[in-house]
Amino acid sequence: MLSTLSDILRDNWEWRHQIGRLSIFELVKKSRGAVLSWGWFFIKPAMYVFCFWFALEMGLRQGASSASGAPYILWLCAGIVPWFFMQDMINTGTDVLHRYPYLVNKIKFPISSISTIYATATMIVQLMLMVVLFLIYFLCGQPLDIYLLQVPVLLLIMFVFWDMVSIAFSELSAVSKDVANLIQALSTPVFWLSGVIFNVTAINIPWIQAILNFNPVTFFVTSFRAAFYEKAWVWENPGLCIGFAVVFVATLLFMMFVYKRLNKEVPDVL
Amino acid sequence: MSSNNVISTGAAEPRSGEIPSRTAEDSQLCHPERSGEAAESKDLPAAAPESEDHRKTGVSDEVAVEFDHVTKTYTLYKNDKGRLMGVFGIKKPGWYLGTVNANNDLSFKIRRGEAVAFLGRNGAGKSTALKMITGVVHPTEGEVKVGGRVSALLELTAGFDMKLTGRENIGLRGQIMGLSNEEIAELEPKVIEFADLGLYIDQPMRTYSSGMKSRLGFGFAVSTDPEILVVDEALSVGDKAFQQKCVRRIREIMLDEDVTVLFVSHSSGTVKEFCSRGIVLDHGTQVFDGPIEEAIAYYEENF
Repeated sequence: MLSTLSDILRDNWEWRHQIGRLSIFELVKKSRGAVLSWGWFFIKPAMYVFCFWFALEMGLRQGASSASGAPYILWLCAGIVPWFFMQDMINTGTDVLHRYPYLVNKIKFPISSISTIYATATMIVQLMLMVVLFLIYFLCGQPLDIYLLQVPVLLLIMFVFWDMVSIAFSELSAVSKDVANLIQALSTPVFWLSGVIFNVTAINIPWIQAILNFNPVTFFVTSFRAAFYEKAWVWENPGLCIGFAVVFVATLLFMMFVYKRLNKEVPDVL
Repeated sequence: MSSNNVISTGAAEPRSGEIPSRTAEDSQLCHPERSGEAAESKDLPAAAPESEDHRKTGVSDEVAVEFDHVTKTYTLYKNDKGRLMGVFGIKKPGWYLGTVNANNDLSFKIRRGEAVAFLGRNGAGKSTALKMITGVVHPTEGEVKVGGRVSALLELTAGFDMKLTGRENIGLRGQIMGLSNEEIAELEPKVIEFADLGLYIDQPMRTYSSGMKSRLGFGFAVSTDPEILVVDEALSVGDKAFQQKCVRRIREIMLDEDVTVLFVSHSSGTVKEFCSRGIVLDHGTQVFDGPIEEAIAYYEENF
């Protein structure tokens, strides 16, 4: 089991230069042929944010009351920006081998690294959005404080966790169309049930709280909001941290199991 | 030969305590005949165990590809559902169909500079063996050892990203191979010149015709200074002029450089022209390994 993990880590380390360059190619491919090219990485998220801000703040008047006096738009962005990363990883990351068939069975390339390519490309976009988020943060008159130190750590954990999810599920998706469809069908429910656009801590039903503690999307969204908006430390919510730790370890074991079973078989069937 | 002799006696020295007596004996034996050619032939058997070890480090005797009891088993399921269940160890009788050995216990060594043809009917496991050499398919049992940079002419049109332009694809493939930016800059004009695509080199590859794709594929494969060249039915693409260009280039690679070539083709003529050794496969098993003429004769007689 441990040798599987060291295989994955070694592959990703040895091929790190190729992974870096291929993730740039991935972005080039995405922005190809558009007049605004790289601008689209910002325009789509901006439209999203505007729609939710308009619907929630103006329409439903659900704006959360702020302790630090920061506006609702910051609360919304702090949760929705990491969601853009997770959304891409759920929708495309879990079926990434069908996106790069030529790397799987035409060119020698470690399969686990294909997930890392996509995760890296998505993370580059995420970092650009984070810059915008910080701009919004400072425009809202918020101070540079110690709670912001959580942001880089959370980004790193987010990268590793969703890379693992991608490795496990993309190999399963390669052998079975059902898995790919199932995960993509879950994307929308996950968005609405994970508290990306509402405050999960405001739900006063204990068993729902307990279940949501095991939702990784809830963990990341809540943690980023703690850093940007609520000015709290992640571990001040121990239930959420323990829940995520359990999910993290379970995902790690699941990834190693799937990788061990399928890694040699995937090039034969894709 | 003389230098070889020096090394071998040198290697023997620390091992035995009887150095003085041995060297004396050697000089006594050899001195009168040393000027003649016969001395060397007489020297050989005495020094054989040591000198053989030294010769193995020589370039021409280096093993480029080694198959060590390689078996490739494909597990077959009725559908994807069965395969998914198979991942979790559930083998329901209706869904699990059994296994097929595409390669069965293959063992051979190919030395650097050799040109070897794989012969066999469709489904004999030739392509599977070549794919294992390129590293895209993993053996189920045994080990495949490959020493050197492999360039494969397997399905030339594949292995490119259709959304990127031809030029970008050259960069992409170069980067996957781990070339530096300078090496890619050096490689690019060579590939472009060989592929001869004109303005299309900067168009997305999805707009290419199949002939153009294979020209680029071939151009890339032969321009990267391969150490091991794998050719699988690749010469049947393109028009006649391009085919001749390909054959010329392959011949060039084989003559000028210390390159190992592995060849799969059903045309005995091409095979005879390029290869010196033939391996005949039947249903995944190796049934003949020897000089190319005998291999072709064996293949044509039995299949």
